[in-house]
Amino acid sequence: MSTAASYLSAVSQADARARKLSDTDSTTSTPALSLSSSVTSSSTETVLDDAPFENLDGLSYPKVPPTSEQVFKTVHSEFGHCANESFRYTARYQPGGQFARPEQEPPHYVLLSTYLSYLLLICVGHLRDFIGKRMRPSSYKHLMKQDGYMALNSDFDSFYTRRLMLRIDDCFFQPVTGVPGRTIVLLDRSSPDYNITYYPTGTRTRALNISSYNYLGFAQATGGCADAVEESVRRYGVAACGTRLEGGSLDLHLQAEALVARFIGTEDALISSMGFATNSTIIPALVSKGSLVISDELNHASIRFGVRLSGANVRMFKHNNMESLEQLLREVISQGQPKTHRPWKKILVIVEGLYSMEGNLCNLPAVLELKKKYKFYLFVDEAHSIGALGPHGRGVCDYFGINPRSVDILMGTFTKSFGAAGGYIAGNKNIIDRLRTSGHTGAYAEAMTPPVLTQVIASTASIMGISIQDKNSSLQSQAVAYPGPVPSSALPPWMPLAPTMIDGTDGAMRLRRLAFNARYLNRALRLLGFLTYGNDDSPVVPLLLFNPGKMAVFARLMRTRATPIVVVIVAYPATPLVTSRVRFCLSASHTKEDIDTVLTACDEIGDLLDLKQGTCGRWPLEEIMARAVEIVQMKEMP
Amino acid sequence: MSTTTAALEPVFTFLASTYGTLETNFYKIPGSHVVARYVKSSHQNDPGRTVLEIMLFIFAVRTLLQSRTRADRSGKHFIKFDEKEIDELVDEWTPEPLGAELTSKEKAHLDAVPVIAGPTGPKPRLTTGKTVLNLASYNFTGLAGNETINQKAVEVLRRYGLGSCGPPGFYGTQDVHIQLEKDIADFLGTEASILYSQAFSTISSVIPAFSKRGDIIVADRGVNFAIQKGLQISRSTIRWYDHNDLHSLEQVLESVEKERRKKGLPLTRRFIVTEGIFDCDGLISDLPKLVELKNKYKYRLILDESISFGTIGRTGRGLTELYNVPATQVDMLVGSVANGLAAGGGFCAGSSIVVNHQRINGTSFVFSAAMPAMLAVAASEGINILRNTPSILTSLQENIRAIHSVLDKVDCITIPSHPASATIHLWVRLPSPTHLSPTAPVSSGKPSNPLSVIPRDPMQFDYDLEEKLLQDIVEEALAQGVMITRAKTLRGQELTEVRPSIRIAVTSALSKKDCEKAANVVKAAFIKVVGRRR
Repeated sequence: MSTAASYLSAVSQADARARKLSDTDSTTSTPALSLSSSVTSSSTETVLDDAPFENLDGLSYPKVPPTSEQVFKTVHSEFGHCANESFRYTARYQPGGQFARPEQEPPHYVLLSTYLSYLLLICVGHLRDFIGKRMRPSSYKHLMKQDGYMALNSDFDSFYTRRLMLRIDDCFFQPVTGVPGRTIVLLDRSSPDYNITYYPTGTRTRALNISSYNYLGFAQATGGCADAVEESVRRYGVAACGTRLEGGSLDLHLQAEALVARFIGTEDALISSMGFATNSTIIPALVSKGSLVISDELNHASIRFGVRLSGANVRMFKHNNMESLEQLLREVISQGQPKTHRPWKKILVIVEGLYSMEGNLCNLPAVLELKKKYKFYLFVDEAHSIGALGPHGRGVCDYFGINPRSVDILMGTFTKSFGAAGGYIAGNKNIIDRLRTSGHTGAYAEAMTPPVLTQVIASTASIMGISIQDKNSSLQSQAVAYPGPVPSSALPPWMPLAPTMIDGTDGAMRLRRLAFNARYLNRALRLLGFLTYGNDDSPVVPLLLFNPGKMAVFARLMRTRATPIVVVIVAYPATPLVTSRVRFCLSASHTKEDIDTVLTACDEIGDLLDLKQGTCGRWPLEEIMARAVEIVQMKEMP
Repeated sequence: MSTTTAALEPVFTFLASTYGTLETNFYKIPGSHVVARYVKSSHQNDPGRTVLEIMLFIFAVRTLLQSRTRADRSGKHFIKFDEKEIDELVDEWTPEPLGAELTSKEKAHLDAVPVIAGPTGPKPRLTTGKTVLNLASYNFTGLAGNETINQKAVEVLRRYGLGSCGPPGFYGTQDVHIQLEKDIADFLGTEASILYSQAFSTISSVIPAFSKRGDIIVADRGVNFAIQKGLQISRSTIRWYDHNDLHSLEQVLESVEKERRKKGLPLTRRFIVTEGIFDCDGLISDLPKLVELKNKYKYRLILDESISFGTIGRTGRGLTELYNVPATQVDMLVGSVANGLAAGGGFCAGSSIVVNHQRINGTSFVFSAAMPAMLAVAASEGINILRNTPSILTSLQENIRAIHSVLDKVDCITIPSHPASATIHLWVRLPSPTHLSPTAPVSSGKPSNPLSVIPRDPMQFDYDLEEKLLQDIVEEALAQGVMITRAKTLRGQELTEVRPSIRIAVTSALSKKDCEKAANVVKAAFIKVVGRRR
């Protein structure tokens, strides 16, 4: 009882504070927002810890207090409060609709200045190396051979890191603390020697987090999933101790694998304790010498790693270019293996569902068309799309309305949408059993730990919804159609279930909020005149910056605003040299107000850095923010 | 004759004037004098060189213009087909199934894997309802299920949530990760360390981060699968030495040096790669000798302590503590947080240059999400416990001795493992000489070929027979209430044939009495199964 009382008092205090502040603050909010936001907090700690209290940025508490009938169970800093039901959307593929927009070219002077910038950077870098090696040889000691040892890394190999990346190193490896949810707490640091070393300044900054892979907002320290994980730690401890085939298998593994298979809509699934390793240790069990892997040129490093380990031949096709793929297929099947011209044992085409640097979806319907004709096997890496796409959160298959069993292997990770870690492979039972036996994961890699498994189970169940049944009707439970709810008998009996998880409203709300946020930011940025890549429904939004100098400036300006925003900047080698970009990762936990904050920041910084190179029709910022719902609901971009 | 000359006259003048303008224009270009002087003087010295240089120039242009994709259409192996023929070939082609169906043996082995219902620990309950003594799980120091660790884990959950939701470079580095890296470095006595989110993927990323094409790696013939994969990815030149034979290592190092001097090859990076306690048989490397050799021949040492970290030494610091060698002598010390500290992930400890290099170049560090905060804190707490309670390691060693004392003198068991290793491998020894019985390699005196991973005198054994016997023993022991496991290896994917073994993972969480009891069950199972064959 005492906790309930203290909770209530803390809530009322927070309400009072938020109300008081909002009086002075309400000038900044738009009329549309006043309907949408509110404040409560389910955790007394979070309310009381945040002294001294200030709400200038609206990060810890909404700028507009709640109405009396609005009750929110989440912590606003983790998962934003948004009651306005019109800020929801359900994204699905419109047949015949615009699949991918033609990529826009920047003006020539931008490209030219980008090349010149790199040229200048490289020249200055070499000059500094040349002088430095003569004036201060001690700083170059680790790059020279000495004492009979060859240098650990050559100055040539490390040139890019030392002379280009180091200049903007303060934008990477930022230490953080707390939940990587809607906001994130940065541990501020400072560098006395131009980013060679850092020291913590001891202060902390809470920033709006539009960088973490937290698509469905399951990165939470409170709520149904966290409660389930706490219970599992108390029951199971932290470790599984061993590999799956050697005494590390728990009942939780079997439950999680069955649940994931049901979620994806395949016969069976296996789980690996690391997302990267799911690709790098499973692909070698699928293909070997005499097989061919056809890989999209922008596939993730883990796929390349796995393919290299497998010993299979590799060919690449142009990113998402179906003509290129078909031409290549015709060539390789007719030619057979190099030199011997023997037919290939098998051909595996590997594509990603959602490309994390481009925001593009793979053209799955077209690939499946080709698959019918050319009989290759299809491997879809859904690391970023599972949970984040489709009306039911089942990834690209769901988005395109395709039966998941028409794809041979569906791979995905739990890091992104599920707030957990590790990955899965789903497919036919005999293929999955083969991978359990012959994949490196089963025999050599540690099994997934119980808390992570529980997070996977709880978040998946939350997306699916749960149908409560008696034990007698377990036969019926098998008949529940994909993508229906999960029968409660498939979950661990001890797991606490929140009511919103059971009726599926929690999962549906997350999916619909994410879809709204993704579409809104994608379209609004384009309407502001920015050059962006990707599909309108992609929760990953890359905004092109081009010039290397603009990357760091953009990130620093965003971080030092009144409402700090952290962003991810990506450049060569993750992208082509000229198309440096900033990448926003949206989340269901963001509110419309948060997106408006990002848009306002981008608008100001975009003017300052001359980033608005798009040829699309321009709308003023105020109009975009006021007509957000309309923009999202539009079939085609204006 | 003269008419033709007269007719050609304007042509000649035109050519001469063109040449004249070209020449003056050429000399207007800054720096052209230098080029002209260079060409002239090189031509004077050696006219042949001009021809050669022109050929080189043409070759370079040709290479640049050539398509860079492999097996291009103009290749000499390319066969031209018309569209109809291609369609026919496409129709004709039938691929093999994507995954071959499991054989009945593989299926039986997969089904026989025991599944623990509820928490793992020294005495877990299985899904069959049976409670067993656990000598299979890697819970060496009994940290699994530790109340303090669980308590901390819940606290962290309530502050950080579960996942880190991003790679370390992009807001995935949490203060708890930095703390654990610092804790590991302090615990071992190195300058720094770096965390990977899976132990298996650690060393296969560490090796290629440093060793590139053209670099030399001298590796043990018995290294574990993860190292083999790392060597494969690195594309370096690999030389092999006999398993745990430092004399052989020295010979290989000597031969590499000799070869380099003979061919006048430039100095490249050179590494020795080996394990602390070997995953395949539980032997322990002689670290002081290794360090002596690597210093003498100027190699860098990559030591995989996945099994030895957290299981050996006075407080579990691993091989460096056991032999009292400073950890700074090992250039890249790789260990497993999952095995040694009962959490998850792996680490590489070394100098800050070594560690920082991996933050950009360690593939599975850069491209993978950071490990969950909870696991990092659990590991930090594990280190704390090991530091403060040396008695854990003492009782672990006592349990190891207790098990050895039961199993050492059994006729049908060969134990290759070192007496201090916490993983004890058991090989079947078939008593009857009529069978193809495994024999220790008879040394023919000649060293093995360092270019080949196969030793000159490989151990002889009957893989299928031994595997079957061991599987029967595992199942027999399980029926008697002791969970043990075969060391599972991927036959055919491993570079060498690894001899089938039962791997006992000793834990300090069991009492000495329980260990003896369990060892006696294993002994009885061995005698029963091997005896039944006779």
